[in-house]
Amino acid sequence: MKRSIAGSFLIYGLLGSLSVLFLAPLAWMVSTSLKPLPQTVSLPMTWIPRAYYATIDGRRLEVSRDAEVAPGLWHVTEFSPTTWFTHKPVTAIVPAAQIETVIRPRWGNYPQALAVMGGGSLDVDPSLLPDHPFAASADSDVSFWTFLANTLTVCVLGVIGSVASNALVAYGFACVKWPGRDWFFALTLATMMIPGPVLMVPLYTEFRAFGWVGTLLPLWVPAFFGGAFNIFLMRQFFLTIPGDLTEAARIDGCSEWMIFWRIILPLSKPVLAVVALFTFLGGWNDFMGPLIYLTRKHTFTLALALQSYQSRHNGVEWNYLMAASVVVILPIVVLFFLTQKTFIRGIATTGLKA
Amino acid sequence: MQEVVDEFNHAQNRIVVDFLSVGQIEEKTLLATAGGEPPDLSGVYQQDICAFADRDALTPLSSFIRADGSTPEQFLSRYARAYAGFGSYQGELWGVPTTPTTTALFWNKDDFRAAGLDPERPPRTLAELDEMSEKLTRRDAQGNLTQIGFLPQQENSWVWSFPLWFGGQIFDGKNITIGTNPANLATFDWILGYSERYGVNNLRRLTSTFGSLSTPDDPFVSGKVAIIFDGTWRYNFISQFAPGLNYGVAALPQVLPGINDFTIADADMLVIPRGAKHPREAWEFINYLSSPNLAAQSLDDLSGLERLCYVQKKPSPLVQWSPFFTAHHPNPDIAIFRQLAASPHAVTMPKMGIWVEYQRNIQLAFDKVRLKVAPPPRALQECQDRTQGSWQWYQQSLALRSKTTAATP
Amino acid sequence: MKHHLQRLLTGLGFTLPWIIGLGVFTLYPVIASLYYSFCDYSVLQSAIWVGPDNYQRLLHDGTFWLSLRNTLIYAFGSLPLGMVVGLSLALLLNCRVRGTALFRTIFYLPSIVPVIASSMLWLWILNPSYGLINAALAPICHFFGQQPPGWLTDPAWSKPALILMSAWGVGNSMIIYLAGLQDVPEVLYEAAELDGAGKWQQFWHVTLPMIMPTIYFNLVMGIIGSMQIFTQVFIMTDGVQGTPAQSTLMYATYLFSTAFFDLRMGYACALAWVLFCLIALLTLGATRLLKERMSHVQ
Repeated sequence: MKRSIAGSFLIYGLLGSLSVLFLAPLAWMVSTSLKPLPQTVSLPMTWIPRAYYATIDGRRLEVSRDAEVAPGLWHVTEFSPTTWFTHKPVTAIVPAAQIETVIRPRWGNYPQALAVMGGGSLDVDPSLLPDHPFAASADSDVSFWTFLANTLTVCVLGVIGSVASNALVAYGFACVKWPGRDWFFALTLATMMIPGPVLMVPLYTEFRAFGWVGTLLPLWVPAFFGGAFNIFLMRQFFLTIPGDLTEAARIDGCSEWMIFWRIILPLSKPVLAVVALFTFLGGWNDFMGPLIYLTRKHTFTLALALQSYQSRHNGVEWNYLMAASVVVILPIVVLFFLTQKTFIRGIATTGLKA
Repeated sequence: MQEVVDEFNHAQNRIVVDFLSVGQIEEKTLLATAGGEPPDLSGVYQQDICAFADRDALTPLSSFIRADGSTPEQFLSRYARAYAGFGSYQGELWGVPTTPTTTALFWNKDDFRAAGLDPERPPRTLAELDEMSEKLTRRDAQGNLTQIGFLPQQENSWVWSFPLWFGGQIFDGKNITIGTNPANLATFDWILGYSERYGVNNLRRLTSTFGSLSTPDDPFVSGKVAIIFDGTWRYNFISQFAPGLNYGVAALPQVLPGINDFTIADADMLVIPRGAKHPREAWEFINYLSSPNLAAQSLDDLSGLERLCYVQKKPSPLVQWSPFFTAHHPNPDIAIFRQLAASPHAVTMPKMGIWVEYQRNIQLAFDKVRLKVAPPPRALQECQDRTQGSWQWYQQSLALRSKTTAATP
Repeated sequence: MKHHLQRLLTGLGFTLPWIIGLGVFTLYPVIASLYYSFCDYSVLQSAIWVGPDNYQRLLHDGTFWLSLRNTLIYAFGSLPLGMVVGLSLALLLNCRVRGTALFRTIFYLPSIVPVIASSMLWLWILNPSYGLINAALAPICHFFGQQPPGWLTDPAWSKPALILMSAWGVGNSMIIYLAGLQDVPEVLYEAAELDGAGKWQQFWHVTLPMIMPTIYFNLVMGIIGSMQIFTQVFIMTDGVQGTPAQSTLMYATYLFSTAFFDLRMGYACALAWVLFCLIALLTLGATRLLKERMSHVQ
């Protein structure tokens, strides 16, 4: 298809502007995460975090600009990197010309946001304020690393279980001829149409009977027992492996297990990669499962920790929330960049073969 | 709580209490473990007690009290009037209050002065509240609201209690009355009045600039709202984010003539789930907690409930307070909250198994009215119909297991 | 015979994990769910049979109808939008431009962002006073003398806000459209061009019919997904309240609150089965709608 210059221009223009639209939210997220709190709620909106300095009573202090009380005159308040003061903050009216502006991203937001993800207050120095209002909740601090560990547990174990069990099952459906096989496979496909809510209550009752509610078990154990979608994906792939290979092996006297292990699996790296990747992604992103099954904060995954971060009463500011969100997103983005081809191929296969 | 637990563990060597902090969803812990391996003690919200008691998920406490040689009435007499009835339901005691609160009015004295009002005089009647709110409201050059005196809608609002404040009723012990009691309509008309006076869109624009509760952007702390109703924790936020704030605390304004000590009382509760392996020992801890050293003269002397409430800067739910607790409580306004706990006009949530749902429905009616999605009579009627239907269903459900519920209003 | 038996055992041996999984995590729950839907069940106590009570109650349940209405509005808003945006992006990417991989990444990335994080982000973006969207819209709105919408704080704009957010996540369906587009044989386009067909006619008569299966697939996936929307709503609209004024109360969140907050698990199961039937009906509808188009291709 030939294309005119105008056509090219149009296409690049559209792609460019749409890209900006799609990236803008993520850029905004990063921008907010690097701002000090007053600047997240300042109007008009700014993208670049700044630090303002003014000299009040002979002292050069960092301030936040509250409002322009008259053209060129700003009401400023002493700024504290922590959110509380040990004294009443100093305020003043300062001419704009006397306010020093420096571009300063607050990288410190990240460790601070992560430090309070599990509860507890920000920047508390116990020696300064022994009966700080939130000291009582200090014993409920669960660290970010715990949440990360929980999430990784679910993801990694889920990947192992998923890849292993689905490969086995798919082999059974693709490479072994046995009576009732196709009927069983049709049943498998049919189960893909059952919406989650139908299973939600009885699954909960089951897990409760097992005593697994409140633990991470319901989130990864089922992966070891196959999943209809992954079985389907893998079976379709196995079917593309030439039958001559397996037939030859059988004639040579190989057991099915050997064929599976020595021939099929090594040739299936692409589909195994896809299943592994999507299982990992599913585990990382899963919210409803943790919401239903996890009750104790030290078992929370990142997804649930992030949400409880929002709904806690202990003070959540947008800059910290965005910082925490960036941290939750980053590993997935990195993973994507490392495994792009597999991702894309996986999704494309889903759409075409279905 | 960990401190108190440690103390209890140190004070004797027969019982060791293991304290596990639970996540946001306290009720799900009970749900998850009831019938399985429940903890021996569980902290729940007052609103959950009736639902769990109805479904046989709690261990009754009266027998423990009687085994100690006392009676439930005697045991409960130690609690302040507003809290004493909290754990009782259908003739049995299911839980005890731990950290309580009552509700008071907070006002920003500097804003009052700037608006030409006497900073030492809070609104004492509903009419004064509305008037002062008007005077305290400020707009910018474009006519947008930048500050408002009072808003019925607040993040921590106990909207369900407003009808009670107006002398109405939401539950008469047998039936839902949100839509049938005439005084309730007056309440919602008053709420609608605010939306009409200021404009729904203007209010929405203002409230969207509010940060969430307990952040520096909290509306009261950041000076956007001059008068609010709140509990004892308000002091914690003020002292953290705006230590220089000049504020006052008083009882809620009068709506019904003569009632100037209306307040809403609430408390976290401690219960023993049914099926707990060590109910007797759990009771011992509850007893220990509820019998603090009332002669405490120093910080170290504080024990049980007093230590717990001291650390959280809440009042103690007991009638008597130790000298140290009274004189050195970290919250400077604590006296008024204590006074309100003795008020004969303190209300709390009705005791009914579907209270959580009912509260949601009332909140919905409130939102419909303030957003002018529905006029008060219709919003109340819809709430009435929906909740009454749900209540009847709940009764049928319990009847299926041949258990009748005689809830108290 | 022995051969058959041996093969059967081998087959069952390989599929054993799935047999267990299917039985324990799918079939048993499906049957139990159906049973519970006819019971009064609070999980704290055992289930008691009440017959079709739950289903009858459902018909008169105002909140059920409201949540269904909200969900359908959301579905009928986000599906066409998703289709148009996804297909348009795929068409653009299919144009053999430089940097396809980069653009593809940019458009795909938002769809793998954890929903919890993107919900928080959009909650912030949609903030009527400080958010990105209204910051961009404000000058335009002011020009017309209007205020920008209140999004999630306004009952009239809350669903549009969710629909808008759904357009950000079309990356997944875009990739599938792209794969479908790339499968269309060049010869067809060349033949059409020889016949004198312009770009638009080529699209309408060649592209669209050829990618009908892809469109069908995305549509069905979209129906299943949008009818069950939960996480975004739960996080952005105050849990199960559906604020403001229940305008964002969706079927799945209503179901969730019925089960876990109101402890009416039997009723929740009935709601789940009704949802199942609804999704099946909608899928059937979509199949009917596109069946003729698809058979044309063959």
